[in-house]
Amino acid sequence: MKSNRKRSVRFRRRSISLLVLALLVVVPVISQEWLVPADRQGRLSTFAFNDSIEKAGLQLYNLNCLSCHGNPGKGNYQQLIPPPGDPATEKIQRNRDGEIFFKIMEGRGQMPSFKNTLSSGDIWAIVAYIRSFNSGYVQTVMPEITSGAYPGALIAITLRLAAEKESVIMKVSAIRDNTSVPVVGAGVKLFVKRTFGLLPLDEEKITDDNGMATFGIPPDLRGDTTGNIRVSARFTDEEKFGTAAKDTVLQAGLKVIPVSLVKDRAMWNTLRKAPWWILLSYGLGVILVWGFIIVVMLKLRDIFIIGEFTEKENKREA
Amino acid sequence: MGGKKNKNKAENTDIQQTLEASRRDFLKKAGISGAAVLSGAAAVLAGYRHEKSKNKGEFVKVLTTDNKLVKIAAEEVEGYEPGLKELQKRGREGIPGKKWVMIIDLSKCRNARKCIEACQSAHHLRPYEYHINTLVMQESVNTPAYFMPKPCQHCDNPPCVSVCPVDATFKRQDGVVLIDNERCIGCRFCIAACPYSARMFHWEEPVNAQADKDKEYDIELNVPQKKGTISKCLFSSDRLRENQLPYCVSACPNGVYYFGDENEDAVTNGTTKETVKLSELLKQNGGYRLMPELGTQPRVYYLPPKNRIFDFDQDKPREEDLII
Repeated sequence: MKSNRKRSVRFRRRSISLLVLALLVVVPVISQEWLVPADRQGRLSTFAFNDSIEKAGLQLYNLNCLSCHGNPGKGNYQQLIPPPGDPATEKIQRNRDGEIFFKIMEGRGQMPSFKNTLSSGDIWAIVAYIRSFNSGYVQTVMPEITSGAYPGALIAITLRLAAEKESVIMKVSAIRDNTSVPVVGAGVKLFVKRTFGLLPLDEEKITDDNGMATFGIPPDLRGDTTGNIRVSARFTDEEKFGTAAKDTVLQAGLKVIPVSLVKDRAMWNTLRKAPWWILLSYGLGVILVWGFIIVVMLKLRDIFIIGEFTEKENKREA
Repeated sequence: MGGKKNKNKAENTDIQQTLEASRRDFLKKAGISGAAVLSGAAAVLAGYRHEKSKNKGEFVKVLTTDNKLVKIAAEEVEGYEPGLKELQKRGREGIPGKKWVMIIDLSKCRNARKCIEACQSAHHLRPYEYHINTLVMQESVNTPAYFMPKPCQHCDNPPCVSVCPVDATFKRQDGVVLIDNERCIGCRFCIAACPYSARMFHWEEPVNAQADKDKEYDIELNVPQKKGTISKCLFSSDRLRENQLPYCVSACPNGVYYFGDENEDAVTNGTTKETVKLSELLKQNGGYRLMPELGTQPRVYYLPPKNRIFDFDQDKPREEDLII
C-alpha cells in the first residue's frame, strides 16, 4: 500500500517533469512561428501594385524598416536576437500579402507596431516594395464589389455631445441620390487631438442599426482654456468604408488655464523675479557697505578741515 | 607755302567728309541698336508684368507668430529667416501654454544608442560629448543591471540656474532649461551645481566649428557650439517649436521615450507614435523621478525596468560604452 502510493507519487512527479519538458520544447517552437489570425491572412490590397506605388514603398521602407532589416536582397540586416531577416528571402516572401500586412501593422517583440505611424495605404505600399524583389509574385487585388460597403455613396459622420457631457454620440450615414441610409456594423474610433498625436477616446465601437455609436468621456479629460477639445472620428476598417473622417471641436473637456513655470519668485528666476528676502538683504548690504565707506570719507574730510582750522589758529597766535 | 595750305585744306575737307559719313553711320547704327534695346526692354517689362499679374488676386494663408491664420497676397510673400535678436527673444520666452514632460521607460531600453547619435548629429557634438547618455546601472550585487538613458532633467527648481552669475542659463515658461552660449563665461558653476551631471563643457574647438562659422546662433539648438562654454540637453526646443518630437525621442527604435504636454495630460511614444494619458501611464507603471529628496522637481520621469523584453547579458554593451 505504502509502496504503491510512493510509486504513484513518483509517477506523478515523472509525468509533471515530462510535461514541463514537453512545454520547454514546444514553447520556443511556438514563439518562433509568427501566426497571423486566420481572418486576417487573406486581406488584400484594394489597388494593384505598380511602379509609383513601389517607389513610395521604397521611401517608406527606408524611413521605417531599413535601420533593422537592411536593404532587401543584400542581407545586411542588423544582428539582433531574434534576427530581423531580409525581406527578399523566401522565409518572408512565402507569407501571404495579408500576413505581411498584419505583421507590419501589429509588430511583435522587438519589431514595433506601425498602426499608429503608417496608414493602411502606406503599409500596402511597403508590401508592394517588398514584393518587387519576388519575380514569381502575382498580385491578387481585392475584388471591386467588396471594396466598398456602400459603393458610390457619400459617407457622412456627425458628432454631437450628449446632454450631460458624459458621452459623444456619433452617427454615420451613407448618402446616395438624396437618400440617407445608416451605416450599420462599421467599426469606428474617436480620437482627441494632442500636440504630437491622437489620443484614443474610449474603445473601438461598432455602429448599431441606426448607424449610431456612443463614446464615453472620462471626467478628467483636459481641454483648452475654454474646455474645448479637438476630436477626430474615423473608421477602423478604412478599406471597407473608405477614409471618411470628421474633425470637429466639442466643449467636453475640463477648462485648463496654463500656468507659466517661471511666474513665481525664486532663486533661479530672473532679477525681476528674485525672492524679496534676497533683494532686500542684498540691497541693505550694498547700502550698509557704501554708507560705511561714505561716513568714513566724511569723517576724514572733517578731520582735514579741523586740522586746517587749528593750523590757521596756531599761525595767528604765533 | 600757299600750295601747302591748299593741300591742307583739301585734306581737311576729306577728313570732314569721312567724319560726316562716319557720324551718319554711327547715328544709323545707334538708332537700330536703340530700337532693339527698347523693344527688348519692352518685352522684358511685359514678361515681368505678366509674371506679376499671374499671382495677382491669389492669396496664400499664413500662420502668424501668435497662431492666427491670415491671408496675404501671393506676390507679397517673402522668405523669412529670423535673425539673432529674434532667435534670442523667442528662445528666452519659450512656447506659451505648454509644459513639456518626458517619460523614459527603462524596461524597453537595450542600449541601441540611437538617441545619442541623433542628438549628437543635431547639436554638432563629438561621439564622446553627451547631452544624453545611457548609463549601465547595477545598484547592488544581487539586483539585475539595466540601461538608463539620462538627459537633462529640466528641473522646475533648477540649481544650475540659481548659481549662474551672468544669467546665461535660464528656465522658460514651458519648463525647458536652456543655455545661452553668447552670454556664458565658462565659469562651470552650473556643472558643479547639477546633481544629475547633465552638463558638458567645450574644452576643445567644437567639431563643426569651421563649417558653422557663419551660421546665426540659435539658442534653441546651441549651434554653432562655442569653445569655452557650457552645452546641455535642450529638449530639442527647435523641434518643439515646429510641433515635432525631440531628436532622441523620434530616433529610438525600442519605444523607450514618451514626450508630451502636461497641460494636455497626454504623451506620445516616439517609436510607435501611440498617444497615452500621462497620469495613467505614471500611475499604472509606478513612475518616479531621480533624486526626489533634493527637491529639484525634474520634468523627466522614469518607469521602472520591470518585465524587460530582452535579457541584459545577451546584449552586452561594447566595452567603451561601459566607461562612463
